[in-house]
Parts: sequence; C-alpha cells; structure tokens
Amino acid sequence: MTGPAPRHETRWQRLVRRLLYGHDVDRDVKAKARIVLAVVGFALVYSAIAGKLIVFAVEGNEHGARHSVMQDAVATARPDIIDRNGKLLAIDVKAPSLYAEPRKLIDPDEAEELLTAALPDLNDRELRSRLDSKRGFVWLKREITPREKREIHHLGIPGIGFLTENKRVYPNGPTVSQVIGLTNIDNQGIAGMEKWVDGQGLAALHMAGLATDRLQRPVQLSLDLRVQYALREELVKARAKFKAKAAAGLVLNVNTGEVVALVSEPDYDPNDPMRANDPSRINRITTGVYELGSTFKILTVAMALDDGKATLQSKFDATHPLHYGRFAIHDYEPKNRWLTVPEIFKYSSNIGAARMALAVGVKGHQDFLRKMGELTRLRTELPESAAPIVPHPWTDLSTVTIAFGHGLSVAPLQAAMGIAACVNGGLLIKPTFLKRSRAQALQVAKRVLKPSTSRDMRYLMRLNAVQGTGTFANVPGYYVGGKTGTAEKVVNGRYAKHKLLTDFMAILPSDKPKYLIFIMLDEPQPVPGTHGYATAGWNVGPTAGKVIAHIAPLLDVEPRFDLPGPAQLILANAKPGE
Amino acid sequence: MMRFVNIMVIAALIVAATTVYKIKFDSTLQVEKAAKLHNELRRERNAIAALRAQWARLDTPSRIKALADRYLTLVPIKPTQIDNFDDLPPRPPAQPQDPIGAMLAPNAPLTTGSLPAKRR
Repeated sequence: MTGPAPRHETRWQRLVRRLLYGHDVDRDVKAKARIVLAVVGFALVYSAIAGKLIVFAVEGNEHGARHSVMQDAVATARPDIIDRNGKLLAIDVKAPSLYAEPRKLIDPDEAEELLTAALPDLNDRELRSRLDSKRGFVWLKREITPREKREIHHLGIPGIGFLTENKRVYPNGPTVSQVIGLTNIDNQGIAGMEKWVDGQGLAALHMAGLATDRLQRPVQLSLDLRVQYALREELVKARAKFKAKAAAGLVLNVNTGEVVALVSEPDYDPNDPMRANDPSRINRITTGVYELGSTFKILTVAMALDDGKATLQSKFDATHPLHYGRFAIHDYEPKNRWLTVPEIFKYSSNIGAARMALAVGVKGHQDFLRKMGELTRLRTELPESAAPIVPHPWTDLSTVTIAFGHGLSVAPLQAAMGIAACVNGGLLIKPTFLKRSRAQALQVAKRVLKPSTSRDMRYLMRLNAVQGTGTFANVPGYYVGGKTGTAEKVVNGRYAKHKLLTDFMAILPSDKPKYLIFIMLDEPQPVPGTHGYATAGWNVGPTAGKVIAHIAPLLDVEPRFDLPGPAQLILANAKPGE
Repeated sequence: MMRFVNIMVIAALIVAATTVYKIKFDSTLQVEKAAKLHNELRRERNAIAALRAQWARLDTPSRIKALADRYLTLVPIKPTQIDNFDDLPPRPPAQPQDPIGAMLAPNAPLTTGSLPAKRR
C-alpha cells in the first residue's frame, strides 16, 4: 500500500528517503503498523495480568479453608454402621483432646499444677515428663469432656491447646459386639466389621488426609438389631441356666446367605475395649472350630441321597456296633435292627450314618465335603476366621467318624452354610454380613445338590422335630425342623465323657425354609429338670424353642396351624407341577 | 479526537478498577460467609451425630426391655395371636347407628320383637 509521496519535498529530502527506505515505501504506513504492534503487545500483557487477577479473586482465600480442614483431620472419620432396618450400630461423635507444645511452654511447673487441678485423673509423673520433653507436640489426654475443655480453656495456659477428634460410639453396647468389632484410640478399625471397613479403601483415604467429613455413605449390615438382641437375651439366660462355659447362636437367611443375627457369649462392650482381648471372648461362630456331632449327619444323609447310594426307603444294618480296627462305633440309643434312612436320622444312629458314608466311599465323602465348603477356610467380611481341622491322612475310619460329626472340626458358620444348602433347594451361598438381595445372592450361589435331595432333607428335619430328638424345639405354628448334635470335647487328645458341646440346627418353616437357626452350648451341665442329662435334646433343644418363639414374629414368619404332617411335605412337593 | 479517546480510556480504567475492587471485596465477603456456613454446617452435623448417638442409646433394645418390664404389663406375643385377613369371619350385617333412636323416630316403621322391620 504505497500512497503518493508528499509533494512539498525538496530534492535532498527525497534522496535521503529513497536511500533509507527504498523508492516506493511510505514512512507513515510503516509508523502506523509499529504503533498497532505496540498496542497489541501491551493489550496482551494487560489482559494476562487482568486474567490472573480474576483467577485470584475467584479462588479466594485458600489459607482459611485449609485451616478448617486441619482442625478436623486429626482422628479420621469413619462411616456410620447401621443394621438392615437402618438402626444405628456405630457412629462418630466429636470429642476434644488436650495437647501441649512443650517448646512453647513458658512455665512448665505452673502448667502442671493447673492441669492436675483441673484433671485430677492425670498421672503426675507422666504429665511432668511429657511437659519437660523438648518435642514439638505431645498428647496430654485424649477425649476430654466439654466441661473439662471449658475449664482448661479458662486457665489460659500458653502452649496448651485442644484438637477435635472423632470418637467411635456403639449405642447398643455388647449386643452386636462380635460382628461389629471395635476401633482403637486413633479411630482405626482393629476387629470385626470395623476392620473390614478400613480395608475397603478407607485406610488409603486416611493416609491422604481426605476422610474427614461425615458425608461418607453408611455401611449397612445384614444384621437385624431386634433379632440380635432377642437371640442374645435367650442365650445369656440359657448359659446361666445350664452353667455352660459359652453360648453361641446364629440366624442365617438360607435364601440370601445373610447373617441376620450372630451372638457369641461371653462377649464384650466395644465402648470399653479393655476386655475385648480376653481369649474367652472370641467369636465362636467364625473363629472357633468344633466337632459338631450329630448335626453333621444332615450332611452325611444329604450326601448319600444326592449320590443315589440311598433313598428314603433304603435300609442300613444297625444290628451290631460297627467295629473298625480297635474302635467300635456304638449308638447312643441302640435299636439293634436294620434302620431306614428316616429312622437313622430320627434316632441319630451313628452306625447308620457311618454305613451311609462308607457306601459313598472315602473319595466321594471328601469330594462332597469339599464341595460343601467344609474343608477349606471360610472367609467372609469378618477378618477373624479359622481354618477347619481336617484329619491327615483321611482314612476309612475318618470317614466313619466324620459321618456322625467327630474327627473334623469346622467353624459353625461354615457348617451352617453347608446345611443351608441342604434345605434351600441345593444352592451353596457364601454367608455375608452385608445386606443383599436374593438376586445378588444368586449371582454367587453354586448348585451343589439336586432339588429333590433338598426336599427330602426338609422332610427329615421336620420329622425329627416332630418325632425325634428335636421335639423340644417344635414351637407350634412355625413348622420347625431341626437336628441336635452332642459331641464329646477332646481334652488332652482323648474324648472326655463329661465335657460336652451341644448344638442344634433348626430350619423354619420346614416346607419353604427361610431361616436357619444354630444354637451351641459349650460344656452345659445337667441341671434340675433335665433328668441328669446334658445332651443336646435337653439343653440346646429347649433353648432353640425359646429363641424361635421369640424371634419368629420379628422375622415376619407367619404362624400357621393348619399344616400337614411331615410326610405330606414330600407327597405334596412330588406333584408333577412342582 | 485523541483527547477524547484518552479521557474515555481513563474513565474506563477508573470504572474497571472500581468494579474489580468491588468484585474482589464481594468475593472475599462471600468466601468468609461460605466458610462461616461451612463451620456452622460442621457444627450442626456434629450436633446431629451426637443426638443420633444419644437417641440410639435411648432406643437400644436392652434399655427398652428394662423399661417395659418395669412399667408395662405386656407379654411376648404368642403364635396363636397372629392371623391374616383371609381368615377373618365375614363382616356382620350393618346395624343402624342408634337402634333405639331409629325405633323412636316418628316416621320409622314400627319394629318390635314380634313385629319385624319391613324391608322397603
């Protein structure tokens, strides 16, 4: 864009211009372009500054925000734990804690004097040594009351301060202690579901200092607080009545594998963790392994029926005790004749059960028990678990004794899982302590038995509650089925005649089982009213009856009185439509 | 011309500076307010947590059981006391609200033990 050259130029000026810029360049245009360049440059610089200013204004005062997080971050927050109906089982509340910064203390003597006056339960010497240490920060007392905090605040000691910490509170005390576990003073889970919660990424959040607010989703357990309380109440009574060393109980939903209640008494109060480490207070349902006695016959009979080695009409020879090497297997109440399968179950014949297991064979027996999850450690959400004690080597004799529940020690929860599979239609469902639906349970379920086997087992369980050893537990209206078990405990490598472990597996209702109830007493004693017996039918049987009468209304099991006898169970179910 | 532009630019500068200052001031105010609300929220949440814990403690079955044993005459429900709607007997025929009043009403048909009411 070359405009016409200005006219009033002398020849000399024109010459200079041509020498400097060439003959067709307009100086004005060039100068304008330079100004534009400068304007654009400055505009860019200023807009960058303005942008940065806006960013500062928007992001605001970051310092204050960080401060409020710091105050909170000391003891990490945990999610609430609630039961299946939303009742609170564990919650965080804030509690102030007292700390000192010894380097900032002006007069440690005065501080010590004032603090011991305000908090008489502080240990003098310990306090002194902490105040005299040259560290930057020491805790003086964790979790003080708001009143103590106010008093100390008014003392106005320099170098002494408070931090708010989360404190875990268990409003139900010992009722749910065995499942929920407990936390330590730093609010980290150290047992039970509390520890499981930490394993779910919460620990990582803590490390990053992020788990500080209350907006974490609560953890919903499968437990029902009401059932849990009822079960515990009955077990505490039973343990006192039969002078047993321990009592344990379990309510398992057989269709979803949810643990609705779990009690192992003696237990502890998680608000008072000092007593939790006592080894007598372990969770006997998941951490203890026991020879469960005759309740194992449920598995033996189910195995023989499912394998086709027996039907309900089959007969087995129980005329004589079964001799095996130097051992002889006796019946508790010998009938001395051939027994049908229902009779073996009803009279709890050891000989009959042993013969049924032998009919299947050692290999088949092992495979079946492995399939039912009885030979491997059962791991649930609870961190505490125990591996079963399996005989090694597994001989014919092992099969004979395991058939009636001796020689193989399993965790009761594990046995309950296997027996639930025997009555729920043949599905092995791993128990859980978290609420879940039937559909979710079916995803993890494994078919282990034919539905027809399961139907026969329901019949046998019901029959035993009407005519056999489980009559004390037969609460009218709930169509209870059940099997007792009595095992002699092993003391110094021998079976001790008078140290018994009695247990009971009940299902309700038998025609379409919803719940499995397991009750166990450790070393119950004969008491007035049991005619000198301490076997299962006399103690856990009636206890199970009381438990069922107490919890069945809570479990929404409808009482029915117009129900057919046990025999109708198989006849009605054998209809082609079913 | 240039003077006018200069005046405009200076005026714009002053306006911009004032606006920025105002925005900045407002935002600081809002941040403080937000922080205060956050604190308040936290305090409220903590108070709610403390109250919920207290409520759960008051509502715990063992406490309710003790109170019920002491003050109520209720006993546990028996299976025979539970029934469903299908087993209810049929509803009895509807009775007049006030049978004697109905008899006394002036234009009511005379009904006695020996003279039953006539269906209209």
